Amino acid sequence: MAVDAMLQGLVVGFAAEAQEVIQKVTMDLLEIERDGLESEALAKIYVRLGRHLHTLKGSAASLGLQDLSDIAHRLEDALAPVKATTQKMPRGLVDTLLHGLDLFMLRAQAHADGRGEQLPDPASALAQLVADAPAPELAAATRSPSGGAEVTAPAAASPGAAEAAALAMTEALSETAEAGWRVSARQVTALMREVERLREVRLRVEERSRELERVATLLARQGLLAETAEARTLLSGTGRSLRTDGEETSDIVDALEEGLKAITTRPVRTILEPLQRMVRDLSRQLGKEARLSVVGAEVSLDRRLLEKLQGALVHLLRNAVDHGLELPGERELAGKHHEGALTLRVEQQGNLLYLEASDDGRGIDLGAVRRTAEKRGVASADETSRLNDNQVRDLIFRPGFSTRADVTDTSGRGVGLDAVRAAVESLQGRIEVASTPGQGTRFVLTLPVDLGSSPVLVVRALEQLVGLPMLAVEATQLARLEALRVGKRRAHLEYQGQLLPVVNLGARLGLCAPAPPAEGQPLLIVQSGGRRVALAVDAVVGDRDLVIRPLPAEVREVPSWQGAATLSRGELLLILRPDWVVGDSEKTTVGAASRRALVVDDSLTARALHRAMLEAGGFTVHLAASGARALERLQADTYDVVICDLDMEEMDGTQLIAHLRDRKETRALPVILVSAHDSASARERGLQAGADGFLSKRECAAGRLLAEVLDVMSRKGSRV
Amino acid sequence: MKVTPRMVEEAQEAEARDLLARRAARLRERGESTVEEAVHWIAEFPLGEERYALPLESLRAALPLRMVTPVPLSAPAVIGVLRFQGQVLSALSLASLLGGHGWRQDPAVLLVVEKGDGELCALDCEAIPRPTTLPLAAVEAARARTEGAVMEIFTSDRQLIHLIDLKRLFAERDTGGRHGR
Repeated sequence: MAVDAMLQGLVVGFAAEAQEVIQKVTMDLLEIERDGLESEALAKIYVRLGRHLHTLKGSAASLGLQDLSDIAHRLEDALAPVKATTQKMPRGLVDTLLHGLDLFMLRAQAHADGRGEQLPDPASALAQLVADAPAPELAAATRSPSGGAEVTAPAAASPGAAEAAALAMTEALSETAEAGWRVSARQVTALMREVERLREVRLRVEERSRELERVATLLARQGLLAETAEARTLLSGTGRSLRTDGEETSDIVDALEEGLKAITTRPVRTILEPLQRMVRDLSRQLGKEARLSVVGAEVSLDRRLLEKLQGALVHLLRNAVDHGLELPGERELAGKHHEGALTLRVEQQGNLLYLEASDDGRGIDLGAVRRTAEKRGVASADETSRLNDNQVRDLIFRPGFSTRADVTDTSGRGVGLDAVRAAVESLQGRIEVASTPGQGTRFVLTLPVDLGSSPVLVVRALEQLVGLPMLAVEATQLARLEALRVGKRRAHLEYQGQLLPVVNLGARLGLCAPAPPAEGQPLLIVQSGGRRVALAVDAVVGDRDLVIRPLPAEVREVPSWQGAATLSRGELLLILRPDWVVGDSEKTTVGAASRRALVVDDSLTARALHRAMLEAGGFTVHLAASGARALERLQADTYDVVICDLDMEEMDGTQLIAHLRDRKETRALPVILVSAHDSASARERGLQAGADGFLSKRECAAGRLLAEVLDVMSRKGSRV
Repeated sequence: MKVTPRMVEEAQEAEARDLLARRAARLRERGESTVEEAVHWIAEFPLGEERYALPLESLRAALPLRMVTPVPLSAPAVIGVLRFQGQVLSALSLASLLGGHGWRQDPAVLLVVEKGDGELCALDCEAIPRPTTLPLAAVEAARARTEGAVMEIFTSDRQLIHLIDLKRLFAERDTGGRHGR
């Protein structure tokens, strides 16, 4: 069918839009043929289906694509009877609609490619659709008086269709405008680096703004208020402008990052959803029943990687349906549900992508693999006799291997898993297989990834923000004392009829002593590898879609962290490993009997150095960045000694000591002051304030701090 | 004798040639002496009461010490992680890496350095380093007689500099995590 040349650009956009709509319709059709859907859910799906088909019809008609409009119209007709009665859709009708959608998309693509004129007359295809349509009596019961079976394009005149057409044209225009750009991966990577640099510049602008504020404050302290008034006003104005510029730059950086992410990545679901249809069609063809579940579909990955993986996933799923799943009768005899379960699980940890494809079928028959390998010449009898089970299982990845005796459309040509392995290895990844006879098979693909983002839940433990992959978070709730079972060693949460161990994140990270959750404290139900715990955190900050980067060598081996992501202000957020969170924390919890020290210093490096020295002496060390934080820690925990900086901004060491000496519980607590000022006056000031010891930071060389701490504790009668 | 303009020009040219020849000779002499006084450029900074230095060629940047995220359960020498030009780097305590060292003022600077294996990391530092030189021969002699990561070298004005060999420093230090926790 000829398409107006002026509309050709719009048709390209329409085809892209139609593909998205058809994907949604397909997903709804697969859902609607499931057993056990409630009528309300059914009704909603029917409404959506009707709306989508109507959109397709109206958009096609508005572009003069009468053949497509007719097909969509015919599909609407086929849908109408079951839609009106909200009944479960018969499989035959699902087949008809899916076939009609295929036809629609093939022709839409041909129009978009400028091949519309070469398309055959749609009459025969339409006749086939009519033949496949539901029984006349069923359709007649709900058919409109105007005779909807006629090939017409009434939707073009309706207001809804006009809107849909307008939308299609707008989107088509924008698609056309974007379609002209081709950039290399190198250019995009270079742009990403520039955006990173821009973010760092933005942070420097913020720093300059703070410096200006400090200068204005210093000027005000000079006492020459009148003389410096003009300069201060000018500085304050410049500071404000800089702040505004910084905020605007921040918005631009965020927009650029989002834009680049959209260009370079896309959600995994965009390749997984079409596989649902493939699984459904193949199962039908083989007389089997299968349902594909996808976990982690929202993870976004490098588009190039996804394109290369798509073929491998198709192979794995076809293989699972054809070889793995049994026929429904066989499954029921084996005590399984007649519908086979296929699962695709996607998870990104740091710069590694884990893709798991599993089925609950018959598993791999190692004897059959051995025999086939020998028969097909993949391996000699001598070789197979020397292989262990894992090595035999790996034979399925060898070229030319297939256990199927006959060649079918689906398999039997010995091409498949070797191609999958080749594809994975070409991406510098690896593939492993695990299988249990009678229970199923699991393929795990591990691939390195440079780009991509994952949904992360940001939580706080004391002052430390950390991220937890959303995939691992089953639920969040606030602690209620009646749901907790607090024992001597640890607390448990009653959750869905189970007792889950409660893990305090702060304590698990060594930031504070373990304590049972308080009423109202946020608890996250975290699961990984079949284990679940209730993770107690101090606050749930919110969810973010973040790019997780690998950690540097010095911290890569720390088992608690899988990577780091950048938050909007440029700070790094550490991302937890869910398997570590649910791991056995009891054996790794620091012994309660060890001596405990609290280090209070507003210098990050000083805290780190004191911690290193004290830990070397066998102390369990907790850190506080200010006097106020130290008081909070001292109210929650008990310590054997406090090491405190004399000069801190908000509350200095002498003020902290005054607070400690005021409280009965901390009156006798040994406190050692440290200071960068190595002067007699500083030492005198500290000791007069009630410090039990004083050291200059210059004196805090290896051993000296520890000796002072032990000496003070001994003098105060503490356990040493 | 009448002096013609032509003769003036020739005289000037000869004078210019002489001048250039003298300059060239001076430059040649300087070049020869430079070979004798080959130097090793370093970035020198205070650490406590002592003066330390890194090879200048390993220094990539000096940054204010901020936006560092602490890494719980990491090794004692790890202060945290930070972003640098799109990468995630470790910030390490130099005093801790050197086996426990006092300091005069809390470090406010991070030096981004190349560790010798192509990777970058950041080391804390009390002040922005000063570029200076050490006699190359003295550096080579110190390297030959020292097995550890820190070489003691005297400058021409008899000041003791502790020159850090980053490759050796990172080869002998374990900065891995506290796995037990």
